[in-house]
Amino acid sequence: MPEKHDSKAAAKAKSSPKEEEVRIGAYTCYCGGNISDVVYCEKVAEALAKLPNVVVSRTDMSMCSDAGQAKIEEDIREHGVNRVVVGACAPSLHEQTFRGTVQRAGLNPFFYHHVGLREQDSWVHHDRVAATKKAIRLMSAGIAKARLLEPLEHIRLSAEKHALVIGGGIAGLRAARDISRRGLKVTLIERSPFLGGHMAQLESIFPTEEDARTVLHGLIEEVAADPNITLYTSSELTGVRGYVGDYQVQITQQSRGVDEDVAEEAMAACTLEVPDDYNYGLTQRKVIYKAYPGCYPPTPAVDWKNIPDGKLELKMNGKKIKLENKPKTIDVKVGAIVIATGFTPYEPRKGEYGYGELPEVVTMPQFIRLLAMAPKGEELVINEKPVRNIGFIHCVGSRQIDDVHEPQPDGEVNNYCSRVCCTATLHLANDLRHRFPDLNIFDVYEDIRTYGRGHEDYYIEASENRVVFLRFHGEEPPEVVASPDDDVSPVQIKLKDYLTWGEEVEVPADLIVLAVGIMPNPVDDLINLLKVSPGTDRFLLEVHPKLRPVETAVPGIVLAGTAQGPMTIQESCAAASAAAAKVSVLLSQGLVELEPYVARVDLDLCKGSGECVEVCAYEDAITLESMTIGGKEVKRAVVSPANCAGCGACVSACPNRAIDLQGWTLGQYQSMIEAIVAEIPAVEIES
Amino acid sequence: MTDKKEDTKNRAAMLKSLREKHKETVEKTQALLKHNQSIRKQIRQAMQSGPMTVPEVAEATGLPSDRVLWHVTAMKKYDLVREVGMSGEYYQYELAQKENQ
Amino acid sequence: MAPRTIKVDALVVGGGIAGMQSALDLADQGYQVALVEKQPSIGGKMIELSKVFPTLDCCSCITTPKMSAVAHNSNIQLFTYCDIQSVDKQGDGRFVAQVIQKPRYVDIETCTACRQCEYACPIDLPHPFDQNLGVHRAIYVPFSTAVPQKALIDIDNCILCGKCERVCPVGCVDFTQQPEELAIEATAIVLATGFEITPTDAKAEYGGGKLLNVVNALTVERLLAPTGPYGHVLRPSDGKEPDSIAYIQCAGSRDKSLGVEYCSRICCMYAIKQSMLISGALPLADIAIYYMDIRTFGKGYDQFYQTAKAMGVQFIKGKVAKITEDENQNPIVRVELIDEGSQVVERQHDMVVLSVGMVSKYDPRTIYDVNVAGDGFVDTPLTNVSPCVTSRPGVFVSGSAAGPMDIVDSIVMAGAAAAEAAAYIQATGPNGHGGGRSIAAGEEKELAHA
Repeated sequence: MPEKHDSKAAAKAKSSPKEEEVRIGAYTCYCGGNISDVVYCEKVAEALAKLPNVVVSRTDMSMCSDAGQAKIEEDIREHGVNRVVVGACAPSLHEQTFRGTVQRAGLNPFFYHHVGLREQDSWVHHDRVAATKKAIRLMSAGIAKARLLEPLEHIRLSAEKHALVIGGGIAGLRAARDISRRGLKVTLIERSPFLGGHMAQLESIFPTEEDARTVLHGLIEEVAADPNITLYTSSELTGVRGYVGDYQVQITQQSRGVDEDVAEEAMAACTLEVPDDYNYGLTQRKVIYKAYPGCYPPTPAVDWKNIPDGKLELKMNGKKIKLENKPKTIDVKVGAIVIATGFTPYEPRKGEYGYGELPEVVTMPQFIRLLAMAPKGEELVINEKPVRNIGFIHCVGSRQIDDVHEPQPDGEVNNYCSRVCCTATLHLANDLRHRFPDLNIFDVYEDIRTYGRGHEDYYIEASENRVVFLRFHGEEPPEVVASPDDDVSPVQIKLKDYLTWGEEVEVPADLIVLAVGIMPNPVDDLINLLKVSPGTDRFLLEVHPKLRPVETAVPGIVLAGTAQGPMTIQESCAAASAAAAKVSVLLSQGLVELEPYVARVDLDLCKGSGECVEVCAYEDAITLESMTIGGKEVKRAVVSPANCAGCGACVSACPNRAIDLQGWTLGQYQSMIEAIVAEIPAVEIES
Repeated sequence: MTDKKEDTKNRAAMLKSLREKHKETVEKTQALLKHNQSIRKQIRQAMQSGPMTVPEVAEATGLPSDRVLWHVTAMKKYDLVREVGMSGEYYQYELAQKENQ
Repeated sequence: MAPRTIKVDALVVGGGIAGMQSALDLADQGYQVALVEKQPSIGGKMIELSKVFPTLDCCSCITTPKMSAVAHNSNIQLFTYCDIQSVDKQGDGRFVAQVIQKPRYVDIETCTACRQCEYACPIDLPHPFDQNLGVHRAIYVPFSTAVPQKALIDIDNCILCGKCERVCPVGCVDFTQQPEELAIEATAIVLATGFEITPTDAKAEYGGGKLLNVVNALTVERLLAPTGPYGHVLRPSDGKEPDSIAYIQCAGSRDKSLGVEYCSRICCMYAIKQSMLISGALPLADIAIYYMDIRTFGKGYDQFYQTAKAMGVQFIKGKVAKITEDENQNPIVRVELIDEGSQVVERQHDMVVLSVGMVSKYDPRTIYDVNVAGDGFVDTPLTNVSPCVTSRPGVFVSGSAAGPMDIVDSIVMAGAAAAEAAAYIQATGPNGHGGGRSIAAGEEKELAHA
């Protein structure tokens, strides 16, 4: 449990800046040119040296390098610097780095202030003189704050050695196993009644030519047999409270609907049919169903999402049986959460490349299912029609261009590459070539992106095996039309083919397969619950692609697999393992640290009026409690640091100015504003 | 003091034996040094007249311009020349005040 | 004398970005890690780069703090300038690596990297860190952000004149140093041995490495880096600021004649990135990229490509057959323009950049006894669900030792390799966590990272 502590008393006890002379070290980083290309860093340093309390003012090509950090350490040790201000990149990148530096040199880590010169200045300005002056102002403000810094301590809390993994596809399974293998407990939840996600809908997978479900079930068996992993299918996250190390999550689970011992019988007896999402709606299945033969869990389930009232009647052995969905909730305490909610294939608009209008146009995921169901033989037969000419179109729903492609409902186009479609298409084309030697295969593409290990082999093989390639330009996408009546093929792809001098070409086809892109599964509910952010591409956003590639901005919430962006199976597994490593780093020590930027109440000023409690958006972060002050029973606001997000709403609501945010006090803000508008020290800045 | 003297003596002996051991590479490197010193001398002489670009030094010395660039780069790194603006598409270099070679 | 023995949970081989990240991800879980690096500094290929795609962060901003974190992590022991001679499995299932640490001829405890020795040394040598366009001396600090930030002597190019020893203010030059033998015992091994670029002289059609103004892309990284040899983008033949620069994509990838049939994954993005950076440094320069397919597949990469197009970088679908040069050493590119009716033209540029690919560095079978795939990189038999597992139990692979990949993918894979290694250590140790190592009472360090 988090300890409630009187942070003000702690701060008072420890801080002695009044007696101690404030000696500030100011460091202006070149950021490898990112700052110095625009800002005259030497001039900034010269100006800062003239400010009161600044005893050292330096520059470096990269302050964050070991040599740069060593300078700071040396200044602390040798020159008595006791407050450090670095102007560099955004604090999200390296504030932690430099806090570590000052701590190593023996200072409280919060005697550090970070100024974002790169994002706030050099990356957004061109005028070198003005940018240099702005840098001086920003740094002066940082220095003003540094004069008023107080020593703070991280809030240390015990952490649940237990993680929640959301999503039972390949990434979720991989993450769950890898967290468990480190000796931590895992709760794995999956929205559908069965594990496996989209991988279960594939047949042969590249680059190994393994059977998708065989590989998948290898992992599912490990998960199923793992005593550390608790699995909830038909389950979603419906509530979350708490913070890293101690999230209290609420899971809502739909009923499986039928008891295990009669489930098979019930499935046999069920007559109600609905579109089979396993086959992307191309076939029907019963509403009591198994996703596919051999699925896990093996017990059939009732598909409640197709039964709006949650009640189903069926006749079994002449008896009427009533089934009912009785959702239940499960509360679990976890230290970290892995989001592995996966993707959904791009669904073309009606009429986009003839989709939904011409029966000969299907998406690639649909085609994979159709092919799996097609009769064995020398000839490709789809929907009982022989296919002699097949055309693949790449980049459907990917690499879209504003004003060329129609935007998505949110007004954005999918301007990203979906990464997997090129190799998947050629993998499939080669497979067709082997099975149907006489089939004519046309591949209509913009760029072939067989980038991965072993992927180029598919391209080479396709090129050598009579797959006919035609290349369009992104600004002039191909068109799909019904053929004129006299034509032998029912549909055509029309394009300007840049492999043959931009010639207008009409490709005859009996079947057109759209290599659709990858979109994130809609997870607005999770975004709201967990306060994670999507990027402009709608995939969930990592903190930084290189520094913290699987972490979200919310402590303890990490990403695994295609919820973050398009990935192959291999890449999803790598990302999931990396996410598991981060969870292990966080939880294996049983202890987490939170930033001490939380509200604190000055009990002398607090009148117990309670406005703070009203405005606070966080549960149990600030409460009114009875206490005895000066022999009188009074109510005063008390902060629970672990629950406080440091948003500052209470600070502005307090009529008595009794609340401050430690590390960002009103006094500190005041001093920063004063410094920003003050005269800057006189230095000659060349233009 | 005698310890220090002894130490110096030992080190000299060590250096000597090391020189023996690395005779081949030492000789090869000495030849390289000699070669480079003569090039440096030509470059320095050419640059006496003031700031020059790499092709100008090359022309004055008859040395290939890529070699001149390499040596000027080396001299710049160790503060023996400095860059002083541009002439057309080329940077100009001049000898540093403190000539310590 | 028996070699010094170091006992750890995991041995990470290679101190590039993948190795550093794997080491940090293991150490932060509380495992003891030995990180062994061949070069005198960690940092790998990444530390040579200028800025990195797709964020255009300065490369140092990403790499150097990680280098620093490795150096300061109390669970990581760093061994630079080391060669691993052999790796054997002991009776208890633990590995033991025989390592030789080469002498730096400088006492690393006392050296302060003041570089007075370097200034005193008379020998100038081409610096591989700067793709030989820059120089270092026979005694030198490898580069400004090296970790450890200590000098060393290139003994094969030293005349043993002793000037460095005489000027050193702390007396750290030590000609008596001998190679040191170490034995590193570990439960798991992570191979993060990286890649090499395709040799620039590999292709006779592209001048066979003899044309001075035909450079590889790593050279351009140094030209663009603020710490680079010239401090500007200049061409190597005569120091001219180039007006017209061409990139030849797939120069060393997707090329049967070189035996490299695969795509190297990074070249499209680095060419685009360099084009944008050159446009920034030389706003008037024309930049053309000759390509077969633009493969900007990663998160935010295609958007990056579109930005470059909008900035005016020319993307020309074409196959470059040959590069020659005119009497002023201007490269002449003979190219078939596929979008323009496949006509063959010759175009003159001031400088041509070969977008060289990634090839395997060495044969990992000999020392590590792991299988290699047809591409020469470490084989990963369970590549789809366990991409870091090699053919040898207990040996895992991280980053581009398992084939070409960019920094983002390497870092993710490094985390995955750490997860695999941690799971293996957990499973094989008798007492669960850290069981593989022998710990004397009270020796157990506090697991919290510094």
